[in-house]
Amino acid sequence: MDSDSDEEEQRVPLSRRPEWSDVTPIPQDDGPNPVVPIAYREEFEETMDYFRAVYVADERSPRALQLTSEAIHMNPGNYTVWQFRRLILEALNADLHDELAFVDLIAINNSKNYQIWHHRRWVADKLGTDSVREELEFTEKVFSKDSKNYHAWSHRQWVLQALGGWKDELAYCQQLLEDDIFNNSAWNQRYFVVTRSPLLGGLHAMRESEVRYAVEAIMAKPENESPWRYLRGLYKDDAQSWINDPQVCLVCLKVLNSKTNCVFALSMLLDLLCHGFQPNQELKDAVDALTSDSDSDSPDSNLAIEVCSLLERLDPMRMNYWKWRKGMLPALAV
Amino acid sequence: MDSILNPPSPDSNPSTQFERDRHVRFLEMMYQLLPSEYQGQEINRLTLAYFVVSGLHILGASDRVDKGGVINWVLSLQAHPKNEAELNDGQFYGFHGSRSSQFHSDDNAVWIPNGSHLASTYCALAILKTLGYDLSLLDSESILKSMKNLQQSDGSFMPIHTGAERDLRFVFCAAAICSMLENWSGMDKENVKKYILNCQSYDGGFGLMPGSESHGGATYCAVASLRLMGFIGDELSKSATSCIINVPLLLDWCLQRQAIDGGFQGRLNKDTDTCYAFWIGGVLRILGAHKFIDEKALRQFLLTCQSQYGGFSKFPRQLPDIYHSYYGFSAFSLLEEPGVNPIRVELGITDVDAIGL
Repeated sequence: MDSDSDEEEQRVPLSRRPEWSDVTPIPQDDGPNPVVPIAYREEFEETMDYFRAVYVADERSPRALQLTSEAIHMNPGNYTVWQFRRLILEALNADLHDELAFVDLIAINNSKNYQIWHHRRWVADKLGTDSVREELEFTEKVFSKDSKNYHAWSHRQWVLQALGGWKDELAYCQQLLEDDIFNNSAWNQRYFVVTRSPLLGGLHAMRESEVRYAVEAIMAKPENESPWRYLRGLYKDDAQSWINDPQVCLVCLKVLNSKTNCVFALSMLLDLLCHGFQPNQELKDAVDALTSDSDSDSPDSNLAIEVCSLLERLDPMRMNYWKWRKGMLPALAV
Repeated sequence: MDSILNPPSPDSNPSTQFERDRHVRFLEMMYQLLPSEYQGQEINRLTLAYFVVSGLHILGASDRVDKGGVINWVLSLQAHPKNEAELNDGQFYGFHGSRSSQFHSDDNAVWIPNGSHLASTYCALAILKTLGYDLSLLDSESILKSMKNLQQSDGSFMPIHTGAERDLRFVFCAAAICSMLENWSGMDKENVKKYILNCQSYDGGFGLMPGSESHGGATYCAVASLRLMGFIGDELSKSATSCIINVPLLLDWCLQRQAIDGGFQGRLNKDTDTCYAFWIGGVLRILGAHKFIDEKALRQFLLTCQSQYGGFSKFPRQLPDIYHSYYGFSAFSLLEEPGVNPIRVELGITDVDAIGL
């Protein structure tokens, strides 16, 4: 298939192609008072006019398939064109591997278009488990340019759940996180694998090793919000295990002792305290040490109040929030 | 004209105020003719019209549009079943996204396809409501009855009966449609609720689908839908345990999305972007927590995305588009900018009941 620019340079208007001479295009009837009319380009308008003609004639032919290719090139958001293309593919019993190649081509410039991904899923679903490897590789190709492409992640999760291919998924997440530890999409995928992979035994079985992984990531970059939220997520619906796990308060302590990038550690400590966590002396000392670094504050006998005061100072953008949290404390955690 | 011929260099100082009049002029131009860059979105023409017409209304300038003409144009895009039997044929009878997917029997057609779409239907009703059209005049029965065909067993909605992706965006559209028509017979609310709760992620935000990464737009769709359906209220004034979603985690997730440059990011560790000032700012408003954000810093960020030609861009100092313009105006409405109408945040339009017509 030609590249986009070649195709445009060589494009012969449909009205001058002999194979279309029997078709009368149907112009878009915008009515007498169109609202927000669009300045269509000439070739766009012509292509869509011919598309309308074959569409209402329900012509499921090879030339109609070719016309949908051209229309999709110019107008990939038009779900009607895609839908009609699927009807044609079915009618012609077309080779769906060729169709995947077509999607590859369109996706190069339109990887954030919902219709492409829906179409891709339709094809992959028809090809079944044979397509797993190809689909996973397709998303990997997209991630090599944009590792946070939301559509590609949705597609990948669908492939895993509908068709399988879980075996190397944790390793793949690992690899993406090694490339960029701040990639929250990869953290989310890791959580997805850990909680849903049929091969790993579920969140409870994986918790210990995942806590270790998250703690390591936090220690490397305590300013990275992703592993903090991941760590908390490992105890979803199980606050008791969360406040009782010594690794959780230990990572908070270590970060506080380092005296830099402490906001997420303080925030987690505050949540722990609100859930009934009993701090040891070491942790109190670490918080006191941060407080004494400031001229204005003095240590408070109530640790939660002191943590809120620190957050007000260290995270001034959310000062009103931390003040509010402080005001809510008496009801929850004094 | 001078400013267009000699645009200042990109790093020139942004305006220090919200340039309402320029925004009105920008939308007026878009109302007259959308540039060809928008042709790839022609199937969503009603959505483009919603950004322009509703945007003008937020700016208090709806007198710039031909109300009757717009209303008639919107109404002409509604799909009507021919009879009761057709209403039960599994199709959705809402609004076509544009004239390009709407066909008539005089087109030599062997069939008359119905391309009604949930998002277009939401936008149609939003425009009509904004312009003061009495929605009880609509044939809402066929919209609501056929909308049920789009709801899936997991509670989600697909947007069109011929099949498409299913996610929280269309749950929101369905909820907003029921809310505007004041009739909830179009959906199984409990099932919708279940789906939304399944989309709350481990970090407190919502993903577009169960298992997906938390995302500002998805979080808005989830929280606004729950509010429209009456499942949540002003949660901060209630005790934390009584809510069906995890509010403390959600609140914390939302507030941490305000980044160092003052703008909001849609996901962790991503760049800030104009539209999330509305998507996440809107969630915070629904929760009663808008007072916790740094409004001054947000305002300053948004002004760096304000185009000298009117409108807003996605990122600072880029060319404006009508999508980011609309959410920029909405964000300034949340910031209570003088001269900008208040919005009903969970519906995504001007609060027409509050300001009167």
